[in-house]
Amino acid sequence: MNDLERIERIKAVLGERAAEITNPSPQRIFLTVPARTLVPALEQLKTELGYRHLSTISGVDLGDVFEILYHFGYDGGNLNIRTRIPKADPRLPSICAVIPGAVLYERELQDMFGIIVEAIPDGRRLVLPDDWPDGNYPLRKDWKHVRAAEKIPGGKS
Amino acid sequence: MKFQIPIGPQHPALKEPISLRMTVEGEVIRDADLRLGYNHRGIEKLAEERTYLQNIYLTERICGICSHSHTTCFVQGVEALLEVVAPRRGQFLRYLVAELERVHSHLLWLGVAGHEAGFDSFFMYTWRDREVVMDILEMISGNRVHYAINTLGGVRRDIDEALRTKILDSLGILRARTDYYFKLGANEPSFVGRLAGVGRLSKEDALALCAVGPTARASGVAHDVRRDDPYGIYGEIPFEVCTADSCDVLGRTVVRIKELGQSYNIIEYLLRNLPDGPVAVKAPRRAKPGEVVSRDEAPRGENIHYIKANGSDKPERLKVRAPTLANYAATLARLKNGFIADIPLIFAAIDPCICCAERTVELIDGRSGRPTVVRWSDLRRRAARRAGRVSKKRNVECPL
Repeated sequence: MNDLERIERIKAVLGERAAEITNPSPQRIFLTVPARTLVPALEQLKTELGYRHLSTISGVDLGDVFEILYHFGYDGGNLNIRTRIPKADPRLPSICAVIPGAVLYERELQDMFGIIVEAIPDGRRLVLPDDWPDGNYPLRKDWKHVRAAEKIPGGKS
Repeated sequence: MKFQIPIGPQHPALKEPISLRMTVEGEVIRDADLRLGYNHRGIEKLAEERTYLQNIYLTERICGICSHSHTTCFVQGVEALLEVVAPRRGQFLRYLVAELERVHSHLLWLGVAGHEAGFDSFFMYTWRDREVVMDILEMISGNRVHYAINTLGGVRRDIDEALRTKILDSLGILRARTDYYFKLGANEPSFVGRLAGVGRLSKEDALALCAVGPTARASGVAHDVRRDDPYGIYGEIPFEVCTADSCDVLGRTVVRIKELGQSYNIIEYLLRNLPDGPVAVKAPRRAKPGEVVSRDEAPRGENIHYIKANGSDKPERLKVRAPTLANYAATLARLKNGFIADIPLIFAAIDPCICCAERTVELIDGRSGRPTVVRWSDLRRRAARRAGRVSKKRNVECPL
């Protein structure tokens, strides 16, 4: 099955849910799905077309919106499902009910971007330390790392 | 006078510190949990402030064992963004180093598996033979760990005829040794008895939890990025994807030994068909706005980079997912209902960076809820005791 046939089948299955679908280079398909229909769309893609291997989830800070990409691997290439959520209200549905292996990637999104993943089965911190101050999300573009003043234990000798 | 020397829980010598938390009931693990981030270095944030060329050296330092697969993944993606194609000789050398790296990583893992199973002579044999590959890598690149051979538009060093012949000669030694390991792995009763049936991961679980690499392939999931999503020159190289259906640590061992054989074939193909010509072309510094998803098959499994360019010489975003992260969910599933004594083997079976191993594990008693801290060496002693109790079948050929 080549890229064009795949695109046709995805369009046939998703209907109007597939807002935009592009094929910028061979073996790569980019599909845009609104966040509110993300979970049913992934469910359909998994059960009807067999897209079940989630490689990872990437978050990108685009200023006023966050772009979330779900990278799916299949035999012959890579399907990237894109969804956008406003930065003012960063809420995203959890896809763990459909893809159980997504939980670590969703926890990483919560830590690094401050996105609230709704109905996540395990919402604890994953990569940030326990004493990390609230409201600091390192991969947001407006977050800058400020190195704390060095403290020498015991003071200067 | 008293001194306090802080070593651990985050020891500077540990590359990839990780904390595992097991809930146990007697000897049986009922629940497993892990905590990451002890060594989170903020590489994705840092990459946004470095140029594409500087980022090659940054991505090389993501991992100490599969350093080349991260730069390959990054360089492939950036070359697509810069609209540069590496010359064929450069690509052949790039994937030659990638396969040599797979050989050294799998030999390293075999040694670790032998060590965790209490078969230390196996560990010493494989690590001795691994030196053959390490020497080749050093002769090609000048380095044993960070080869620094990838650059935008090709590779940085060429090989000459003498080196080409030397690598082909060394393959003979490696092939003979690997055949011996295969015989050993399949027939040595105490080794097979220790590995068979440990850490089961069904095919359904491997698919649902998105496991990658030899972990998934040992559960019968024939995923291999080199074949599924051919990159570089892998579309024209003949090789097989090795799988096993036993779904246990023995299967993962067998898959890796078989993959060694495939890698030798690929290396031989690359060297026999090595084209003439330049090894690199000049690449521009700035990339047009765009995005690219780059994948490659690292020794541990699928490696994926997402790179977004904004028109400058620095990436807007670099997302990296290393294969070990993808395999954690599957590891937790495998630990459940296993024995405490099997933790080292099961955890080592996904081939996490070796330095994670010498750490403390917290065991929580399922009935009293009281946590106790056990050292990795104690766990290994328990493992060896348990192995001693396993009934051994003498002179049987195990179906693989």
